[in-house]
Amino acid sequence: MGKYLLRRVGYMLLVLVLLSFLMYLIYSMIPFDRARALAEEQRAAYKNDPAGFEAAYQNYRHQLGLDRSVVFRYLRWIGLVPVDGVYDGLLQGSLGWSFRYSRPAAEVLAQPLRNTVFLNLFSTVLSLGITIPLGIFCAVHRGSRRDTAVQIGTVVGYSVPGFIAAILFICLFAVILPVFPVSGMKTPGSSYTGLRKFFDELYYMALPILVMTFSSLGGMTRYVRAAMTEALTMDCVRTARAKGLRERAVIYSHAWRNALIPVITLVIGWFLRLFSGSLMIENIFALNGMGKLYITCLNANDYEVVLLLQMFYVTLALLGNLLIDIAYGLADPRVRADRPERR
Amino acid sequence: MESLSPGRLALRRFFRRPAACIALVLLSGIFLFVFLGPLFDPIDLSYAEPLHKNLSPSYDMLQIPDALSRNIRQISSRSSFSVGLDGDGRVYTWGKTYLRDIGTDLSDLPEEVRGRRILHAAAGVDHAAAIDENGYVLCWGAYDNGQYGHNGSMLAAARPQPEELLERPLDPSGVRQLVCGNQVTAILMNDGTTYLWGNYSIGAVNLPSFEGTKDLAKIVFLQSLIAGITTDGEFVYGSSGVFEICEIRASDGTVFLGNLREYIGDRKVLDIAASMTDVCLLLDDGSLVIAGASGEDTRRTPVIPDGETVVVLSGGARHYAALTDTGRILTWGSNALDQTDIPAGLTEPGAADEVICAGFQTYAVRSGTLAGKWGFRGYLMGSDELGRDIFTRVMNGGRMTMTIGAAAVLISAVIGILIGCISGYSGGKTDFFLMRMTEIFAAIPFLPFALVLSALLRRTDVKEDVRIFLIMVVLGVLSWPGLARLIRGQVLAEREKEFVLAAQAMGVPEHRIAFRHILPNVISVILVSLTLDFAGCMLTEATLSYLGFGVQLPRPTWGNMLYGCNNSIVIRSYWWRWVFPALFLSVSILAINILGDTLRDIFDPKSEVEK
Repeated sequence: MGKYLLRRVGYMLLVLVLLSFLMYLIYSMIPFDRARALAEEQRAAYKNDPAGFEAAYQNYRHQLGLDRSVVFRYLRWIGLVPVDGVYDGLLQGSLGWSFRYSRPAAEVLAQPLRNTVFLNLFSTVLSLGITIPLGIFCAVHRGSRRDTAVQIGTVVGYSVPGFIAAILFICLFAVILPVFPVSGMKTPGSSYTGLRKFFDELYYMALPILVMTFSSLGGMTRYVRAAMTEALTMDCVRTARAKGLRERAVIYSHAWRNALIPVITLVIGWFLRLFSGSLMIENIFALNGMGKLYITCLNANDYEVVLLLQMFYVTLALLGNLLIDIAYGLADPRVRADRPERR
Repeated sequence: MESLSPGRLALRRFFRRPAACIALVLLSGIFLFVFLGPLFDPIDLSYAEPLHKNLSPSYDMLQIPDALSRNIRQISSRSSFSVGLDGDGRVYTWGKTYLRDIGTDLSDLPEEVRGRRILHAAAGVDHAAAIDENGYVLCWGAYDNGQYGHNGSMLAAARPQPEELLERPLDPSGVRQLVCGNQVTAILMNDGTTYLWGNYSIGAVNLPSFEGTKDLAKIVFLQSLIAGITTDGEFVYGSSGVFEICEIRASDGTVFLGNLREYIGDRKVLDIAASMTDVCLLLDDGSLVIAGASGEDTRRTPVIPDGETVVVLSGGARHYAALTDTGRILTWGSNALDQTDIPAGLTEPGAADEVICAGFQTYAVRSGTLAGKWGFRGYLMGSDELGRDIFTRVMNGGRMTMTIGAAAVLISAVIGILIGCISGYSGGKTDFFLMRMTEIFAAIPFLPFALVLSALLRRTDVKEDVRIFLIMVVLGVLSWPGLARLIRGQVLAEREKEFVLAAQAMGVPEHRIAFRHILPNVISVILVSLTLDFAGCMLTEATLSYLGFGVQLPRPTWGNMLYGCNNSIVIRSYWWRWVFPALFLSVSILAINILGDTLRDIFDPKSEVEK
């Protein structure tokens, strides 16, 4: 297992470098001259001095590395090539500077990251709490009328796009029944602390959380149902039944344990995918999260923040894959054996 | 039991499922709608109708009340509602009388208008006015900008209604004309005096200079101008630069920029009619001339049949109609909302003795009764914030969304099948390399990546068509890994079977075995996966467009039509703007998903046994 894990981590790092370079490359292809923009800000100082302006512009170009190749800039950004003799990149913990907010990118990121994690954590917990019992129920009562009803519901559920679900939820819970606020992060003018603050935030995030939960219900329920159906046909379940175990014990301790393996992998992958799913939800509800920040900065050419966010998404995706691999490895001894492909 | 071929068996199993059949019918319907519809109703991307912003779905704009249609005296309209007056002095309203943005209902007639005998009635953009038999001026509708009375905030009011009109009545028999414009109103008396009031800063910028013009015979309002003719046949418009250099379209077909007064010269103007953007004049040499702001080519003057002369003109919002001395109806101008589609029975001489253009509708009247009506009936799915028909946009937007989805799926299918087949069949180093590549692609965080790519496309200077094509490529290139893995797995399983061994023994080339022998055996899996991917790609396109990173407005897709619909005002008040695109998108995706699921079930023999 150790060797297998080591190989996966090594491989993941390789892919991380590849992907981050690819994203860096694509982003640097967007025609926007940051050096020109910075120089323009100083335009007043060089009113009658075009040569001085040009010099300032060239100076900015040099500072930003725009006079060098994209590979050089990438390596510098990573922290493998020194800037004026100092290594100052991601590897050294320097996450960059936000030109839009005139603050370090790490500071800009802090609050949105918190909000996004809050949002995703809550909707994950909520939807797991609904889908797992529902999926098990459907698998156990497979083919019954209630199962069919849930099946139809889940197809409808995962066919409705997230942003349409958002509009429907706003319509239902903010317009027809004014229960939840549509936007905002906290009660205006309030300065709650502790638990009060938490519940206030939860109240303001209620609609996004509900929408995200709703969007994931369909797919998750179907997946849990499929995994459980598969597990119920296993020999061990037949054996358990033959032993005369109570049906509850058969379902929850024999079948469910076996169904858990694919479900756990799914949950990990799905949780990480939520982060890009919340990108859209955050934009609909104007929620100050990573996704909102990503689009804002993408539109504002705030490139160091965009690059950092891209890195975050790529790392998250790869980490997710690694976790899935590990989970598979833990669950399924055959994977651990690391056997070569059958030929 | 009869024996069936696998294909017929699959078909039979398919049609045994009601959900699948409904989904198939729905999807085929939507397909026909979005792919055939635009052929009959192509979209004009630059089109917008400011007078029809945010109209709710309806089809009753031409529904003139029965009682009125038997005894028509006056009909007028400027935007979405019409006001009619019958010979007995009763006022009728129809069309979109409820103005959502203001919150007034024009069908809510004041007590006086309902109770008294009315002699003149006219509709403005957001108000209406009437004069009763005692000479009292009665108005209703919006009043906040000084349309009438002295109430309301009057913030924008340029000139309030004259005090004398509020205090004492006019001489009812002396009123020649009552006409309403965009928040402005004019009353012309037989002796040539006028009463002009309202928010002329938007409704008639030349109103102060127009006031005091002597011997007026007729007054018309354009979108933001007032004009008229005198009893001597002179065209008057106060002082305004608009008609000094304007686009003039003469009867002989010539179009040029010039001074309208100079063009008229010594000729007398017999009649005048106005649309929103221009005026049409009938000159005493029998010719017609249209003059105003330059615009579409549809506003050319009509061909007057030989031996006939135009007697009277009438102007709507974007079109005109005229009556010749033989009673023939001529109509011209914009036909964007069917304003100039005369019914077949009304094109001959003697069809009518009066023709009334009211807003976007036209009514032909013969001895007081309605002889025919044509024009704009309403928007089946309402109109959006720019006054565009949502029905047309849903249809054309659907074509775009489905085309992008289909193209993206095709691209991902080609890549996925190639890589899956090669990887699964060759194995070894090729397989290792291809699978690592697939893994890298699978690890790409989809939405952030697609956003960066489309941001790149948006900033680079490429044509819209190229951009849309590139969006298809981006979607296709990012979504093949799943398919490739699936096919590889299937091919690995098929490869071990005897028929492959047989083919190898017969010396069939390797690539031929992979693509001609193995691929057909996994085609059902591919088909299912492609169906589900199609829904996925449509969804991604809609998401990107919704976020403003896909297809750009004004070109519609189901996604970007929902752009800006996530605020509670739109959700509550303009529900048709989001319900229809959302419904079409959701139903299409739902139908495709159901079809995909059904296909998977019928191709998988195990699923039938399971039950």
